[in-house]
Amino acid sequence: MFRTQYDSDISIYSPEGRLYQIEYAMQAVAQGSTALGLKSKTHAVVVTLMRSSDELSSHQRKIFKVDGHMGIAISGLTADARVLLKFMRNETLHHKFVYGSNLPTGEVVSSLAMKSQRNTQRWGRRPYGVGLLVIGYDGDKTHLYQTSPSGNCFSYYAQAIGSRSQSARTYLEKNFKAFPELGLEELVLHGVKALKESSGKETLTKLNVGIAVVGKEQKFEILKPNKVQTYLDQILQTEGEIEIENENENEKDEEAETLELKLD
Amino acid sequence: MSGIGTGYDLYPTTFSPDGRIFQVEYAHKAVENSSTAIGLCCKDGVVFGVEKIILSKMLVEGTNRRVFSVGEHIGIATAGLTADGRRIVQNARQEAKNYENFTSDIIPIHVLTERLSIYVQVFTLYNYIRPFGCSLMVGSYDEEKGPSLYCIEPDSVALGFYGCAIGKGKQEAKTEISKLKLSEMTCKDAVKEIAKILIKTVHDETKEKEMELEMSWICKETKGKHKLVPKKLIEEAVEWVKGQENEED
Repeated sequence: MFRTQYDSDISIYSPEGRLYQIEYAMQAVAQGSTALGLKSKTHAVVVTLMRSSDELSSHQRKIFKVDGHMGIAISGLTADARVLLKFMRNETLHHKFVYGSNLPTGEVVSSLAMKSQRNTQRWGRRPYGVGLLVIGYDGDKTHLYQTSPSGNCFSYYAQAIGSRSQSARTYLEKNFKAFPELGLEELVLHGVKALKESSGKETLTKLNVGIAVVGKEQKFEILKPNKVQTYLDQILQTEGEIEIENENENEKDEEAETLELKLD
Repeated sequence: MSGIGTGYDLYPTTFSPDGRIFQVEYAHKAVENSSTAIGLCCKDGVVFGVEKIILSKMLVEGTNRRVFSVGEHIGIATAGLTADGRRIVQNARQEAKNYENFTSDIIPIHVLTERLSIYVQVFTLYNYIRPFGCSLMVGSYDEEKGPSLYCIEPDSVALGFYGCAIGKGKQEAKTEISKLKLSEMTCKDAVKEIAKILIKTVHDETKEKEMELEMSWICKETKGKHKLVPKKLIEEAVEWVKGQENEED
């Protein structure tokens, strides 16, 4: 009942105490294609599904490097993401210049959250319409943070954002307890499997799947398409095996059904 | 007096016919939508407890904090929009730093509270910025003055309390707090009592998801420094609460 009056400006509260513009900005994040992140004790991985506007164009990049030890995956308005990316790169570079060491991931995420919050408080500005998944390795620990247009930032073991991300999140929730002890290969495989859950009818190819890793003795690296293909092949292979198993089970079920009918 | 402010409630610069500023009152509602935080003044310190609703199993525990330190000797607990709370805490830290640079002395809590209150009030004056959607509890402990606890609301009113609660369950929590004898309680007892109020009275297990307890204190034991309550003590408090439930059953 109150929506239309109170939702046009960020500086207006609704009678229930909600800020609709922030909620709408989060919708912009939910419209972007899926991006997910997961971490173990030694490595952190982001996996994304990239869209292309038509057959002739390339796929829209969703993973960007911030520094040697840190990178982001985005979901939402790419142009807004570019602004935040530039901010993060400046912060990390400045820290390196002044202190000669890597800026801890948590600190840059905190600054980013504060920057996002400023846009939610003045009239004439709008919240950034992009959610970031930030992965980093510093202080002998892996980090995975999610930032949102509201200026909140959360630290996760695994998270998925964007359209159809709930299926990926369900997969991650089922499996995340095992992640801390996994090696890099298995971690990436889990990431790709989770992405498959939310890819819907779209087939995963080396062109529309983006993977990046960072970790102990592993600088932030966006994997080349051929490396991505090796992971996709592994998934297809295990799927093929599962399909054969399912077919056998289905045949058994059909036999059981026909038996029941005969008894009746 | 009308409850709905239609027409007079779009900007903090508009008074309603009965003299209310509705945008500020709506900011209060934003605080009431969030989970509860409690602060208690005991005879040897101040204890904060926050009921953190766990929105996802995959969140790292102990992060996404709602209590913050300003300097070493002051603690702030927030309820409402967390991002707004962190903005005010950033300002508080700046104030504390400036005071120390200027006077070579740590900022007294009543000075900090007043400055934060003025800062919060500024955002209720103009139509191009919105009021903060969060309440803060500011606490400190001094050997001479004893414990101090203030609560700053979105309308910038800052009152001193012996015991205070903000957020969704503040009414029930305040009722429980008024039954306690705070002047005779130690901080260790307060940890248990706060755990009891948050787990039993305020948190609705049927309606809401699981909760995480975040507690911090400034007391004689921590030598006047704001620290998180040791995990062991929180676990003992939770066990004690469960024991109490069994007794009552």
